[in-house]
Amino acid sequence: MTKVYGEGENKVKALDDATLSVEQGEIALIVGSSGSGKSTLLNMIGLLDRPTSGKIYIDGIDTTTLDDNKISSFRNKKLGFIFQFSNLLTDLTVLENVLLPRQIAGTNNNAEKEARDLLKAVGLEDQMNKRANKISGGQAQRAAIARGLINKPSIVLADEPTGNLDSVTSNTIVQLMKSMAKKLNQTFVIVTHDRQHFGDVDKVITIKDGKAFSGDMPSEMEVLAK
Amino acid sequence: MEYRLRLAKRMLFNKKGSLIGAVLAVTIGILVIHVNFVIFQGLFDAIVRDISNYRNGDILVTDEADYIDKSDLSVVSWFERIPYVEAATPRLSSTAEMNMTKNGKLIEETRVPIVGIDPFRDIKASTVHETIADGSYVFSRNSIVLGSNVARDLGGAEVGDSVKVLVVDRFGQDEVRRFTVSGIAKSPGGQGFDYTAVIHIDTLRDMMSRHGETGSFMVKLNDPTKAFEVKEFFLRSFPNDDFLAETIEESAEEQLAGFRSGIAMINMIGYFGMMSSAFAIVTIQMMLVNGKTREIGVMRSIGAKRKDILIIFIFQGMIIGAIGAGVGTAAGLGYTFYAKETKMSFNNSLPLEVSYNWEKIIQTALTSFILAIIASLYPSYRATKLLPVEAMRTV
Ligand SMILES: Nc1ncnc2c1ncn2[C@@H]1O[C@H](COP(=O)(O)OP(=O)(O)O)[C@@H](O)[C@H]1O
Ligand SMILES: [Mg+2]
Repeated sequence: MTKVYGEGENKVKALDDATLSVEQGEIALIVGSSGSGKSTLLNMIGLLDRPTSGKIYIDGIDTTTLDDNKISSFRNKKLGFIFQFSNLLTDLTVLENVLLPRQIAGTNNNAEKEARDLLKAVGLEDQMNKRANKISGGQAQRAAIARGLINKPSIVLADEPTGNLDSVTSNTIVQLMKSMAKKLNQTFVIVTHDRQHFGDVDKVITIKDGKAFSGDMPSEMEVLAK
Repeated sequence: MEYRLRLAKRMLFNKKGSLIGAVLAVTIGILVIHVNFVIFQGLFDAIVRDISNYRNGDILVTDEADYIDKSDLSVVSWFERIPYVEAATPRLSSTAEMNMTKNGKLIEETRVPIVGIDPFRDIKASTVHETIADGSYVFSRNSIVLGSNVARDLGGAEVGDSVKVLVVDRFGQDEVRRFTVSGIAKSPGGQGFDYTAVIHIDTLRDMMSRHGETGSFMVKLNDPTKAFEVKEFFLRSFPNDDFLAETIEESAEEQLAGFRSGIAMINMIGYFGMMSSAFAIVTIQMMLVNGKTREIGVMRSIGAKRKDILIIFIFQGMIIGAIGAGVGTAAGLGYTFYAKETKMSFNNSLPLEVSYNWEKIIQTALTSFILAIIASLYPSYRATKLLPVEAMRTV
């Protein structure tokens, strides 16, 4: 896919005919230097924005032809999101945040128990009824993981989920995602600067100047990326 | 609870300042309308009340051309047979010249309205006798009640003074009589007989050479809502007497027309107030939407549709409208209650006729509720225009 921002003088080709595929159950890392187009790529896969050209297939469905309502519905049922900052709605409790995708889907049956179980699994059983702005950054990312999993999506997308956390907390979040992925056979596509925390993963895609390459960044680039 | 309603409520209640501001805007809009109603409708109704009590009754019967020659006793007893009728009384009016010698000085007044009343019936059909500030009401053929302004213009007439009254009779002859002042009339608000002199109707009939004739009948009902019915019944019963019968609304229409349009103007100002509270809601909600840009993006990312975002913010409008309408109506009713209990008066004189107009109260509350929802449409629409990528914002 290709994504061009702006017009005329200010035109930026953030993605330049980038092609990649991720299989069911894989953890795929997207790495690359700042401004290379990682977030843009994730936005396209997450159907948060549309590519200028190219196609995105999720579960065999060509998503580029869907209208806004269908895309919303698709995001709700097939995708989970973990952002770098302010993932949660601060007006709701942690539990309510995790429940929200289910309520939007309108399939509430057994939702609360599943949400509680997920929150337990991410280690937040004591924080469930706190307001979302009353917990720490690491806890918020745990809650976001639980929210991302509640609708059993095809892919969970994360854009620098540890970008805002200290190294120790980052590591626990990375391990949590890895273990959840394994336990649930859940596909994850994760943009990260913390390549080494992840260790061994199924797939690594390096983005450079909007182009996608299979495999890790050359080590001299990793230095630049820091 | 419906998640959109819960979100709407939480967002509002977690922003107390905005909530209070928006609710206050609605409340004040409603309160202004209630206060206007209490004062101006109260004033209007007070004037109607006084015109009815002092001059026109609930039904005023006159002759289409000049004077009623049917015997007053027969007309009065016809009316008083009807259960809805409290009392009926004949009256006769003219214009007089008066003079009086006070402290050796002769003072003359021309063109003083003079009313002849039946002392026994008048006190049942009218409350003019209650406006006698000094002395007593007309009780004999040669007693006169002077309006406070007439008394003042005559150089300070007092009870017991003697005044000379000149009335021109039906043949153009001057008829002069001497009266003793029995009382001074002064009404709060001046709708009474403050500018009028009152004498016995038979004396006035004598002076005008109109024996057995009557100018008008004032009919007081115990159930004023039956005025139209009684009036129609009366007119049907006397088809050949050239009677004219009017309810208070009809007979006072001319006096009240200007006032009515004034009230319409003031109500308009009230509605403008409501409109400006709608603008306040738009501003406050726009601030709320702008403050939630990223969170709206998050909601959209996890699957909320444009419609869901629209509904969340319209729910906020409904919450603001409902609380505002509730608080505003409560405050308005509180003010109305206070005005009624303290017998609030206009200019410290005319006691307002305070009433609860439930139809208008409900209409006002509903209008502001609906206005709040309409006001929330624009911010809600703007919220739906925010894109899911807003969730990715790093700042
Ligand atoms: N909304 C946008 N409008 C214009 N240019 C953008 C926009 N988003 C990203 N870009 C540009 O596209 C390029 C890729 O950005 P991004 O995908 O955010 O990179 P990364 O996440 O790898 O740091 C950058 O040059 C950035 O300035
Ligand atoms: Mg980025």
